[in-house]
Amino acid sequence: MTEKIIEKLTAKFPAALKDHSEFRGDTTLKIDAEHLREVASFLKNDEDTQYNLLVDVYGTDRLKLGQTPRFAVNYELYSIPKNSFVTLVVEAPDPGRNGGADGSGRFGEPLPKVASVTDIWPTANWLERETYDLMGIEFENHPWLHRIMMPDNWVGHPLRKDYPLGGEPVYFEKDRNNPRFAHLGKQIMAGPSFETELPEEMDTNGHMVLNLGPHHPATHGVLRLATELDGEKVIRVTPELGYLHSGFEKTGENKRYEKFIPYCDRMDYVSPMNNNLSYVMAVEKLMDVEIPEHVQYVRVILAELQRIASHMIWLGTHAMDVGGTPHAAPLYCFMMRERILDIFEMVCGARMTTSYFSVGGLRWPLPGAFMDAVRAFLKEFAGYYHDYHVMLTKNPLWLSRLKGIGILKAEEAIALGITGPLLRAAGVPLDLRKVRPYCVYDQFDFDVPTSTDADSYARYTVRMEELHQSMRIIEQAINQIKPGPYRTADRKVALPPRQEISTSMESLIHHFKLVTEGYLPPVGQIYSIGENPKGWLGFGLISDGTAKPYRLRVRGPSFVNLQATNTMARGGFISDLITIIGSIDIVLGEVDR
Amino acid sequence: MGVAVGAPQQGALGGAQAHAKDGSAGYALAKLEELVNWGRANSVWPLTFGLACCAIEQISAAASRFDIARFGSEVFRASPRQADLLIVSGRVSNKMAPVIKRIYDQMSDPKWVIAMGDCASCGGPFNNYAIVQGVDKMLPVDVYVPGCPPRPEALFYAIDKLREKIKAEEKLGVRE
Ligand code: SF4
Repeated sequence: MTEKIIEKLTAKFPAALKDHSEFRGDTTLKIDAEHLREVASFLKNDEDTQYNLLVDVYGTDRLKLGQTPRFAVNYELYSIPKNSFVTLVVEAPDPGRNGGADGSGRFGEPLPKVASVTDIWPTANWLERETYDLMGIEFENHPWLHRIMMPDNWVGHPLRKDYPLGGEPVYFEKDRNNPRFAHLGKQIMAGPSFETELPEEMDTNGHMVLNLGPHHPATHGVLRLATELDGEKVIRVTPELGYLHSGFEKTGENKRYEKFIPYCDRMDYVSPMNNNLSYVMAVEKLMDVEIPEHVQYVRVILAELQRIASHMIWLGTHAMDVGGTPHAAPLYCFMMRERILDIFEMVCGARMTTSYFSVGGLRWPLPGAFMDAVRAFLKEFAGYYHDYHVMLTKNPLWLSRLKGIGILKAEEAIALGITGPLLRAAGVPLDLRKVRPYCVYDQFDFDVPTSTDADSYARYTVRMEELHQSMRIIEQAINQIKPGPYRTADRKVALPPRQEISTSMESLIHHFKLVTEGYLPPVGQIYSIGENPKGWLGFGLISDGTAKPYRLRVRGPSFVNLQATNTMARGGFISDLITIIGSIDIVLGEVDR
Repeated sequence: MGVAVGAPQQGALGGAQAHAKDGSAGYALAKLEELVNWGRANSVWPLTFGLACCAIEQISAAASRFDIARFGSEVFRASPRQADLLIVSGRVSNKMAPVIKRIYDQMSDPKWVIAMGDCASCGGPFNNYAIVQGVDKMLPVDVYVPGCPPRPEALFYAIDKLREKIKAEEKLGVRE
């Protein structure tokens, strides 16, 4: 595949392809900024490539790598028909004399410029806005290049390497009379207040603009939807994000690889196990570590349990929002989630923030009662699963609020970069566990549920069926799993066993090195994706050979999926907007990161 | 509970006793405080408000297994005007800070604040450009709950502590 692309590209655009490389199975093409758009539309439309899904766009500030030009933009592409990934790297020419090093275009500083690909892959819209906001790269001809995470009046671009991590010392003392605490409870505001701008095309005079959120019970967190209404009809929805922006990427770049694992829990906080899995897979890919089979099975079991737990939250809150069965459904769903959390607690001591997977294996061996607990859960859950169906599937209220609401067709979904149940409900059977199996997913017999109705009800049926498939996977996994080591024997990554430390000098050194320095991956760039309950969770890692990632990129599936709100809600009623938000299944921690 | 409503106590309220008639129900100044506090403490209505991971534990606390109704706080109100407890459950970003402040201002007195979780208490694991290091920088916090996230039981303990605090409030809880 790669040779073919390179051959074709060099034949068609001789000046475009500057370089290409392979690392850990990832193909990276370095494209000249002048030719980006031609190459992009070629890769998307050519018969042999068909890279129709733009997975991610993110910028890199190479200041400390000493490379010029300073900024580069990475595009992760996936071809659904060909099942292949490719990375494009485009170097953004430095603007002017000082490289626009300190500030943003709004304050007169020139920014490096790259052409926008929003018209080729509409999903680039938000991804480019994010890159502009956090990295300070301007995308020419972008439809509406505004900040997306930070407040509009923020100065600077936080992900740049010359932008400090920020933060301040926090004091812990008992004595409340200490003058240090004099400000507590008094200060009105930590930072300047701000006003957000609405897109120009919003007709604020002729129509009513209704603000939903950031504090609204049906937005599932701190999401704000500026909704342009004509009567009850929705003309346009503009989601406004960033109210939970926590600087995950910047924090990750200031921590050692393994120290970021607990942060993953806090991103999509209703599916921490899946986040952990995707992240450790990314680091393992970068380090090229072999993982014992026992570990793979445990990972699959826990990840699938977590998928069920995550879908329970979706189902419960969704049912509560649309009022099909006002309070029974959430309680039934949370009941089952609690059972899963009990299992997690047994495994790692925490209910939600698990951090159980570590690079190279598991943090601890499984407790002895684990298998029985999972079996008992499966048995109980099967009964509840039936109850959910009885409660909702043919419930007339539920049907009337979901059927035909929020249509998102396959072409639109692919163009918007949608992944996960949303895409499958539009009829595209794209499930990474199936098309590019990781862990040991190829060992199990399971189906990828799809639907062609592409409405909210289709998304409901797809997710319900996914619950069933997860049960099947877990059942097969607990029957097939064999005892084995719980982490890799590679001493460069995983700690040696306790008894070895006291008998072997070498182990002691490894232990010391790992604890004090962490591990040092080779120089390189990888992108790794896991199939999360909500879609593709992607991690981009650029290593400069030190123990901390030089660049850590997180692609949150909710973030990209949320972009479809406008497409789905346009033309419908305002009350359907609630159904649509519920059926996208977002978690704001991951949207805003 | 010891609210005594009975014969007017001479001199308890200075000039006010001029209106008291013999044999009628009098006033019980010191005890009214207790009565009011008792009522307030046993029906603390939280605001339906969640920020991050901790909010999920807050929802769990309200769900069937833990059941916050045992502590009289199950009536989550979606409007700040009807709520008396703001549970700040999660990290407060710089962008969200003015919004939280406004929500707090919209709540009618008396009102209380619980900082649930490390993030709301002190910034938690996010000591960076995006997160306010503790919601107490802008709101008066009554109870801090440690944990990342705190278990529902911890939240209950906090609500219990808050009730103790409410019961001991003076001057009907009016704050300068
Ligand atoms: S304290 Fe922990 S669990 Fe709570 S919001 Fe912060 S990171 Fe999430």
